[in-house]
Amino acid sequence: MIKVSKMIEIDSINKVYKNEGFETNVLKGISVSVDEGDYVSIIGPSGSGKSTLMTILGCLGQATSGTYLLGGEEVGKLKDYDLSRIRNEKIGFVFQAFHLLPGVSAFDNVMMPLIYCNKIPDDAQERVKQALIRVGLEHRMAHTPGQLSGGEQQRVTIARSLINDPKIILADEPTGNLDSKNGAEIMRVFDQLNAEGRTIIIITHDSFVSEHARRILTLRDGQIVSDKINENFKEPQAGLARVEVK
Amino acid sequence: MRILRNLRQALHGLKLNKGNTFLMTLGVMIGIASLTVIVAIGEGTKSTVLERIANMGFGPESFSVYSGGGRLFFGRNRNITSMTLQDADDIRAMPGVAIVVPRQRKRMRIINKKEFTTTRVYGVSPEWQPARQWKVVDGEFFNDMDMDRKRKVIVLGNTPARKIFGETDPLGKKIRVGQVFFEVIGLLETKGLTESGYDPDDRALIPLTTAMSRLFRQAHLHSIKVVSTSSDIVRQTMEGVTQVLRRNHGLSPLADDDFRFVTPEGIMQWVTESEQALNRMLLLISTVSLLVGGVVIMNILLVSIRERIREIGVRRCFGARRTDITQQFLFESVLVSLLGGAMGSVVGWVLSSSLKYFDFLPVKITLDPFVLAFGFSMVVGLIFGIHPARKAASLSPDETIR
Repeated sequence: MIKVSKMIEIDSINKVYKNEGFETNVLKGISVSVDEGDYVSIIGPSGSGKSTLMTILGCLGQATSGTYLLGGEEVGKLKDYDLSRIRNEKIGFVFQAFHLLPGVSAFDNVMMPLIYCNKIPDDAQERVKQALIRVGLEHRMAHTPGQLSGGEQQRVTIARSLINDPKIILADEPTGNLDSKNGAEIMRVFDQLNAEGRTIIIITHDSFVSEHARRILTLRDGQIVSDKINENFKEPQAGLARVEVK
Repeated sequence: MRILRNLRQALHGLKLNKGNTFLMTLGVMIGIASLTVIVAIGEGTKSTVLERIANMGFGPESFSVYSGGGRLFFGRNRNITSMTLQDADDIRAMPGVAIVVPRQRKRMRIINKKEFTTTRVYGVSPEWQPARQWKVVDGEFFNDMDMDRKRKVIVLGNTPARKIFGETDPLGKKIRVGQVFFEVIGLLETKGLTESGYDPDDRALIPLTTAMSRLFRQAHLHSIKVVSTSSDIVRQTMEGVTQVLRRNHGLSPLADDDFRFVTPEGIMQWVTESEQALNRMLLLISTVSLLVGGVVIMNILLVSIRERIREIGVRRCFGARRTDITQQFLFESVLVSLLGGAMGSVVGWVLSSSLKYFDFLPVKITLDPFVLAFGFSMVVGLIFGIHPARKAASLSPDETIR
């Protein structure tokens, strides 16, 4: 019998923002689980709570209430030290606005997560090179973000997100700032990463992007209104990472 | 090591934000530059005073008594005329007194044909030479007979001799001091300029009696130098001199002294007190200027954090802990402060050297202010960097990345 291990399990998550005496309930009792190696897209209109959900899934912020298990570890009980370790080792982030360090070369941008490892790997330089080669930027390593096109910048952010070999890739509108050609290329990279067994969670409002995912969650007003399997999903060759259970 | 990696990130941060880095260094730079210049002027003034004391020819067994009450060089009234030759004679008669040199002094123009210069003209007794132990290299010093006959003879220091005679031998030549002609009978040994620019050779000596009756035309003395037989009895001798002078000047028991003592000990005490006062002032000035520099760093760092909020967020996303962000910004603050300190030291050194070169003020450049600058910069960077660094670290990653 084959059992898929749960990578993410959230239960009754609420998130309330307080601002100048006003309370805004952005997430309202969300419960969802994501299998290891799954390919999920979260869609929904602006203000539906997609980005807030992503910050919670990415351990960038804590939920107001509810539980969040990441690889079996309860995130809500962790201190800054451990949350930082999880972000460094287990999660890779890709942002719509790229968020590359300005004035820093593509090579050093990709190197950045390694700086915050407890020990920089001996083959760090080689790993950075390989990551950039993988996204087709071997000829742009010394270029700063200002010298790169939007598509190239997004590929640098993908290389950066992969440098610590994380199990989860969280992408927030990864094609939002790209033209359709570059957007398609970036999505091909995500498909490939999923084929390798990585868990991919993409937040988007673009149906073209969400169609790449195996599972599509729809958020509206802080609640999941639909959770469906994408019938058009092409099963990757490598398939989902599964664990044999005796 | 993680801390060294954060130091490297801080260096990157400073390099990338050159404008802010420059603005942050300015405050500390100005503070440190002013500190080094003020210390150099303070040291210069102190060394000038000490050199002057050395050139007053004081030994441990000697002291001077100046007309007019007050302290040391700061007489309360410069027009006191109570000190006379009688005082000098009475002091000479005291036990334990070896040499007494009564003095008159005036700054006057001395002229040799068309050449002239202004110098300090002293009317002294022949005992001046053994009391000061200043050799005559050419000719001779005036003697008791010159004193008795009020002869118009003069002994020149090297500076006025060179200025009005050039290469010519001045001995036997007549020069005019004010309206009176004097014959040059001796030349004093050259002492040379001191480091601070004081010229002990800029003087001319004439018999006291001549000065009193023919040149200055005044009976009162400017001061009396007293050399006692032993340094152990200086204090005792001073007490005796006080009694003699108070009696001679008819001072009532309640009246203040109309004379003051200048002793090596007193001068040293004055220099120490002055130095302490100067140091207190320096401390105040440097503290204020460095506080200003620190506040500038803090404010610009706070603004910089707003500008770099995305960078902080990205670093936090990829594993930076709060301590990493704190260390990075603290390093930036300390590095920028040290850079300001280094630049301030260079500017201070250039300014001090210029003041010395153009002879505006007595300046002595020492290593101390530069060592101080390093320490102060480090402390300023640390203290004023803590708040922005903690603020940067306290930002929540989800808020910084939006």
